[in-house]
Amino acid sequence: MGLRKGGKVKSDIPIISKELCLRLLNDLEKAKRPVLYATKCSLDNAIYNHKVGYLTPGSKKVATELNVSSVKKMSRAVFMLEILLGNIDTGAVNTKRELYYMSKGAIKSTPALKPLDFADQPESDDTIDFICELMECYREDINCYANDRGGQTYSQQLIVTETMTDGTIATIDLSKLGTSPFQPKNRPQNLKLSTSKKIDFALIVESEGTANTLVANGFTKRNNCIVIGSQGVPSNAVRGWSKLIQDQLKIPLYFFGDLDAYTLQNIYRTLKAGSAASLIRNQDYSAPDVKFLGVLPEDIKKYDLFDYPVKEHDAQEGRALKKASDALKNDPFFQDKKNRGLADILNWLLKNKRRCEQQAFFSVNPKDPTMPEKIILDKIKRGNYV
Amino acid sequence: MSEKKISSSSTAEYFSKNLQQVGFSSQTKAVLTTLKEAVDNALDACEEHGILPELKVEIERLGAGSIKNSERIRVLVTDNGPGIDADDLPKVFGEYLASSKFGRGRCTRGQQGIGISAATTWAQMTCAQGAKVISKTKAMRKAVSAVIEVDIKNNKGIVKKRETIDWDRPQGTQVEFVFDGRIQVNGEAGIMNYLLGTTLVNPHLTLHYQLPDQEVVTVDRVSNEVPAIPDAADPHPHTMKLGEFISHSHLFGRVKVSAWLKKGFSRISDQVIEDMIKVKENGLNRALFDKNVDQLANPEFTKIFAAIQNTELKAPSTSSVLSIGEDSLSKSILRLGKVDFFSVVSRKPTICDFKPVQVEVAIARLEQKNMDADSPVQLLRFANRVPLQFDKSACAIAQAITTVNWRSYGLGQPKDAMPQGPYIFAVSVVSPFIKFKNASKETIDASDELVEEIRRTLMQAGQKLSRYINAEDKANDLEEKLRYIEQFGPILVDGLARITGAKEDQKKRAREGLMKLLGRDTSSAEKELSAANQKLAKQEAKTSEAE
Repeated sequence: MGLRKGGKVKSDIPIISKELCLRLLNDLEKAKRPVLYATKCSLDNAIYNHKVGYLTPGSKKVATELNVSSVKKMSRAVFMLEILLGNIDTGAVNTKRELYYMSKGAIKSTPALKPLDFADQPESDDTIDFICELMECYREDINCYANDRGGQTYSQQLIVTETMTDGTIATIDLSKLGTSPFQPKNRPQNLKLSTSKKIDFALIVESEGTANTLVANGFTKRNNCIVIGSQGVPSNAVRGWSKLIQDQLKIPLYFFGDLDAYTLQNIYRTLKAGSAASLIRNQDYSAPDVKFLGVLPEDIKKYDLFDYPVKEHDAQEGRALKKASDALKNDPFFQDKKNRGLADILNWLLKNKRRCEQQAFFSVNPKDPTMPEKIILDKIKRGNYV
Repeated sequence: MSEKKISSSSTAEYFSKNLQQVGFSSQTKAVLTTLKEAVDNALDACEEHGILPELKVEIERLGAGSIKNSERIRVLVTDNGPGIDADDLPKVFGEYLASSKFGRGRCTRGQQGIGISAATTWAQMTCAQGAKVISKTKAMRKAVSAVIEVDIKNNKGIVKKRETIDWDRPQGTQVEFVFDGRIQVNGEAGIMNYLLGTTLVNPHLTLHYQLPDQEVVTVDRVSNEVPAIPDAADPHPHTMKLGEFISHSHLFGRVKVSAWLKKGFSRISDQVIEDMIKVKENGLNRALFDKNVDQLANPEFTKIFAAIQNTELKAPSTSSVLSIGEDSLSKSILRLGKVDFFSVVSRKPTICDFKPVQVEVAIARLEQKNMDADSPVQLLRFANRVPLQFDKSACAIAQAITTVNWRSYGLGQPKDAMPQGPYIFAVSVVSPFIKFKNASKETIDASDELVEEIRRTLMQAGQKLSRYINAEDKANDLEEKLRYIEQFGPILVDGLARITGAKEDQKKRAREGLMKLLGRDTSSAEKELSAANQKLAKQEAKTSEAE
């Protein structure tokens, strides 16, 4: 059973739900206007303390008062909560899309509920998110799982023990999987890690393709390590999995990705300290010890890497630069003095408006397929990371 | 030396080769322009003689036309106007630039005497027959019937098949054109839009019309007043060029220069003449003004003209513009169809680009109009009460509309575009000197001053309109709130009761409490609605007071 420090356990959800509904009902009986408070999940309510290591919520709350304008939203929340409580009761799990269709089915069979009908999935997704905010719980706590994405893991030394929902235990020795990777779930807290041999480090690679290439070329055979592909912005699975490795194996973690504003600000920051949108879950979904191995600005010169200018007129790249400049001003993570090295890289990117991809390591010696591995190991050895 | 001979051609020859310049650039435009010229002439003639116009318009398809993909069309317009003397018929229908209105500086529809002769030429060129005219003045015992053609080589009207006939009306004119064209009934450039627009800006018009394969429709007049077209004001010297200034003196014969300036121009007084003499740089003395105007030499005209241009004069008078008026527009707009509400603004005449001009705007929201909320509004443009139906985007009116922020008045509007919704926007510009972009008078030139004046009028109309929209929004808001309470209240309480396992009496109390709570929310919506309604009532009281 997942347990968070100071948080709720999954079995609390029906009790918390009942308490919440009872409070609403009691207020209504007295014709008193119920007000529900949820943590404000945005950057202006995010606090970063390097000793804690991830973004935590401030004191700001979003109040939802029951009135004519919010009665529909609240009615929908209570309706969806009933479906979710049914799932918790039976142990069934669903994706958001499935819940959307389940709600449509429930409304179809009870015409009186017709006014609640969701026009499209974003409406039912918003309702599920609202429930999570009200109860300050994870979506997974209410048996709603997103599709697993990213996190393909390779190692010759790692052994994973998984406690299944029915209580049975599965043991996975990653060295026995051949070329297949192990993929963690959205709730990696159900996993226990052990090693057949001491593991020296874990390498989280932004591009899953590059992670595969490294492994195919023998990276995990030659090194006692774990290689993980993050597949862009890390999903909950990747974030929780990295945290688990950090906490249970207590080994150094390195992130290897592109040198650009998007990677640094969206991918790496989320992996290391969580995001503003998930303030209430960063505790379990961030790995504060992970270091930024590169590509670093000095690597361009040192290894004579191919870099190229950022297309400022490209909407996406322009947005990333703007966001990076805003991050330097507003993001407590980049403003913290312990992260000055990372802020310096952002400043370098904004000033030079150039970018260098992780795959540029393959340009150093095209005849030697292990050259990227050599550079990575050299950088780790020399402490050439931020 | 070249052996090519330089020859001159007649005006009729020029226009016959360039009919596209005067509205005959396509087959659909040919039908609309012919109809428009005949109706304009009829309305102008009635107004000149103080007659309440009653027009009959018939449009008929006669079969295939001689031009590829064309139809043979018959357009017949009959009026109850003063009629035309038999001798004048060839001039009116068969001669270019023969006009009783040319350069008079009055707000008439027709100005130069080109349009109806061009229609005759088009009929002649496509169907080899001119305009068939029946006309009768009060003085005539019998009506005269004739076919008028244009002698293109000599720009003269030719009368054919002239005969006197009995006609069942005391006076009037009937003109019939048979020509090649194509009928477009609906759409911005359609005949219906033309007829709709013509009835809107002519509240005193009774119109009977019959379109192909349709019954006769009658639109009765809503005003019994014939608009009096104000006399032209004397020319303002700042609007003239030197050549015009000198030619103008020839109309006055032997009078003193000072008398010519005071009588022949507006805004020149003794004081203005004194001021011009006082300014040394002008180099004018009193003796010059005492000279007879027919004795002035060109250098003296030039000196006086330059001095006048350098002197500050009052802007021209606006007395020569004709307005439809808010009252008449308000009545007329109800003839457009079932109208939810409307807003009408008639601005005071003003001066734009040194010319008197008056802008009037009527905006109506139509009931049960088969239009999407995100379709652009239907725009009716008018110049001197003539509908303009082509080349909208270049027109001062369309440009002014797109510069107004209609969202602030409650209408939908994409950026820099026409507003949207089931509305009719009618914008009328009246001026004795409208600057058109082309001879076919399809678009008004968008000068900054004129666009700004139209924009201000539109904004006033928008403000009035917004009171209706606001009141309607508030009413909808209240209705939605009441509906929400009714729909979601029981669902919410039932859901809470199921999760908590609440008993029936607790559920009942919670439901009553919720209704009480939400009921309080509607009282604020009720207050907002009542405030919006009060504002609207105030506006309506003000309007009826003004009427």
